[in-house]
Amino acid sequence: MSKRTIWRLVSTLLICGVCAYFFLPLSKIRLGLDLKGGVHFELEVQTHEALEADIKDTSDRLQDRLKEKGLPAVVSHDQTSVKVEGFTPDQKPAVEKVLNTFGNYDVAYDATSAKLTQKAAYQQFVKEDASKRALTIIENRVNQFGVAEPEITQSGRDGNRVVVELPGVSEAERERIKGLLSTPGRLEQRLKAKGDPTSYRGFPTREAALAYFNGTLPPGTELLPEPESDRDLRRAGQVPTHDPKHKGEEKIKSWHLVETKVYVDGGDINDAHRAVNPTTDAHEINFTLNRKGSDDFATLTGIASDEGRLISVVLDKKIVSNLSTKEKISGGSVRVSGSFTKEDADDFALKLKSGAMRASMKFLEEKSMGPSLGADSIRSGVLASLLGFGTIIVFMLFYYRWSGLNAIVALTVNLIVMLGLMGSFNAVITLPGIAGFALTLGMAVDANILIFERIREELKAGKSVAGAIQAGFDRVFWTIVDSHVTQLFAAMLLFIFGTGPVKGFAVTLTVGVVASLFTSIYISRFIYDWILERHPGTKTLSV
Amino acid sequence: MRIFENLPHIDFMKYKTLALSISWALILACFFVAQPWKGSAGRVKLGMQFTGGIDMQVRFRGDMPQDKVRAALVRGGFADAAVVAYESKAGLKDYSIKVKARPGQDEKDSTAQINHIREILRGLDVNAGDPKPDLNTETIGVIADQWIKSNPLGAQGDDTAIRAAYDPWLSKISAARERFAPMTSFDQLPTDLPKVLGDQIKNTYRLGNLSFVKNESFSPSISGEWTRKTLTAVAWALGAILVYIMIRFTASFAIGGIVALIHDILLALGIFAVFGFEFSVPVVASFLILLGYSMSDTIVVFDRIRENSHKPEYRRATITQLVNDSINQTLSRTILTSASVLFVALCLFFWGGPALRDLSFPLVIGVITGTYSSIYIASPVVVYLEKWFPRHDSLKQKHS
Repeated sequence: MSKRTIWRLVSTLLICGVCAYFFLPLSKIRLGLDLKGGVHFELEVQTHEALEADIKDTSDRLQDRLKEKGLPAVVSHDQTSVKVEGFTPDQKPAVEKVLNTFGNYDVAYDATSAKLTQKAAYQQFVKEDASKRALTIIENRVNQFGVAEPEITQSGRDGNRVVVELPGVSEAERERIKGLLSTPGRLEQRLKAKGDPTSYRGFPTREAALAYFNGTLPPGTELLPEPESDRDLRRAGQVPTHDPKHKGEEKIKSWHLVETKVYVDGGDINDAHRAVNPTTDAHEINFTLNRKGSDDFATLTGIASDEGRLISVVLDKKIVSNLSTKEKISGGSVRVSGSFTKEDADDFALKLKSGAMRASMKFLEEKSMGPSLGADSIRSGVLASLLGFGTIIVFMLFYYRWSGLNAIVALTVNLIVMLGLMGSFNAVITLPGIAGFALTLGMAVDANILIFERIREELKAGKSVAGAIQAGFDRVFWTIVDSHVTQLFAAMLLFIFGTGPVKGFAVTLTVGVVASLFTSIYISRFIYDWILERHPGTKTLSV
Repeated sequence: MRIFENLPHIDFMKYKTLALSISWALILACFFVAQPWKGSAGRVKLGMQFTGGIDMQVRFRGDMPQDKVRAALVRGGFADAAVVAYESKAGLKDYSIKVKARPGQDEKDSTAQINHIREILRGLDVNAGDPKPDLNTETIGVIADQWIKSNPLGAQGDDTAIRAAYDPWLSKISAARERFAPMTSFDQLPTDLPKVLGDQIKNTYRLGNLSFVKNESFSPSISGEWTRKTLTAVAWALGAILVYIMIRFTASFAIGGIVALIHDILLALGIFAVFGFEFSVPVVASFLILLGYSMSDTIVVFDRIRENSHKPEYRRATITQLVNDSINQTLSRTILTSASVLFVALCLFFWGGPALRDLSFPLVIGVITGTYSSIYIASPVVVYLEKWFPRHDSLKQKHS
């Protein structure tokens, strides 16, 4: 064997080995919902939270608006209404004018106060919007988590339920996905209230804080808990443990009084990702803000530095960290460090990227589900695919004799490479996917047919065996490249612009094209060359 | 073995006008038969992922194979029902049955549909032959009507008053059914149920081996947004193909290739709809496979035309002759490749079972039209364009 042959043999075997690693043993292959079933989650969107959030937003905006107009009114809110109080009767027309701009609200006036409630149609709209948003965000999160071929549907009479069905999910992934799906992922940056003198320390308990304020909190503020972080534990000389059993039972370290006004929220985040702090080795989340977000962030840091106050970073109603700043920061690039494990930080970043839900989700049920296709459908589908593929093999042998065997080796390598690439992408195989495999192999044989037909033509034109093989491959090379590259372009654009199942399909198509390109020009050529090397000067070629 | 012992000399381009007009006439015909602008009222059928539907959950006591449930539904006219087994306690079998919403379906139709499915499921009970109705699956309203009519408690007053007297007992029975789903003994009836009512139930009803856990509607999992994004993706893909062929060949080839591609997709879509097959996500995927296949088939012919245009013997030849010869030279390959893919598609269509029938049909059509269009759509367009805008030499500058 020449050096070149050995080198080609080794590289071929190496590629096959690497590919085999990704799908052997066969249990590594993830089967789709139709073949194997999976897990079924049912969640309910807590739409009333969206209504409450809207009330709170309105209350904040109303206060700002009244302040702008120089009106001394005080705005407060409970769960269902916003109250405006403390204006004099002669200021009433001016207040009315401001309130009239809140068209989605019904307003009931007194001499010196007004009460705003959401209109029924508007409530309906807010609820539907919250459900729709939750659905999109769940889709985003599931897709970014990397579970392929999920089935996500909206159900229930009011459309406020979301059913998520996922194939091939392990027990550990299941827990993580549950957390990922049910928490809103709302990040807020607020100011620590002026009245709270405790700085970083905070109040030890909620009761202590309430006692300090004599039972009533100053208007426009609320008490939020700060969970104990890894750093605190390390400082206390303990090793932080992340026992998954105790997840969600984190210890509350302290309570802080913070303003209810949100300066920057998650909606203004462009991109977020996890990073590791080189000095402390802690996991952090870096995110960049859009234009509005960075303006707001500059305002926030401006106030904080001028008045010497702390900024509280709040995630889902819990304080992640309190920060101080010496100067106004513009540019919109923010880093948050806190008590994160690697997974926590990844999930946190993913939540920030996928956007915040208007309302949290409640888990209604979780159960395993069997395959959606009957055993007989699966059997006939697989058999038909095997039959189609088998017939092509027989036909190639019959029509091209020994060269047909060459094509079969190429097809086998093709199949190995395809399975390997699919495995490395964590792709899920469904019954249509298996049919797609058979079809792709049927099309891949086209490259071999092109080559063999060309070799026959060249032999007929009187070329020697070696010359015919050489000319055959050379002539056909660009044909194969052109036809594959166009398909590859199409597949990649489907991947970039397509969503959901189309993306998964684009991966399969890309994999098929790449595998076919490799086997037809590299493997088939190599087999011929090897045979020519062993039988130099052969006069006939079985093609 | 060979298809052609000698190179064939078929004058394909002779029939180009005829072929072009028949093809596009056929597409138009399909379009008018399928009436896609009418939405679901036309012949375009959409799958469950596009329409939404009803999800019913049923629980059987004892063994009840999934295939048996499915077969019963198919016999009852719900061939498209999806039956999925859920994990359940030992001795019980939980199934979710999803059926598609019929076009233009309202609340009343859904109820009728649900009742029909319930009837089919009741028929699966081992004791279905028993003439007594089954308490576990009886509609609560029917029990209510019986009680109100016979009034065993002797309640006084008008209809509403009598109804009110029985309402608490009805909801208790309903709660017991939910709790034990399905009840296995009359002892599981509420203990404080008046004896007359209990006796009446025991006399009129038997206890079947199944229970309806819940039913609710679900919305489409594929939104209009998805369809729009997919079409955008296809448009981008076509654009990229156009540019690539323009760079590797010439503009006329690019146009010819795209026209052939659009022709194949439209014709396959049209025939698919006219034959009443149903669009689902895998079907959309198979149309995308078709797009790739049709393109690569056309490229092979184009490549031969480009290669031949460099040869001295074609220096003085007309574009028609160049194209004709190139098609003839690649004919045996075209036939072989198409036959092999067509064979796989036919296998899937005939033997692949219901799950693969819909998605293999576009391929059966597409492989035939894809092969035909390389010869009769893509090439004639190139011939026409090269005749109208003769820049014969530009092709030769492209290196192969």
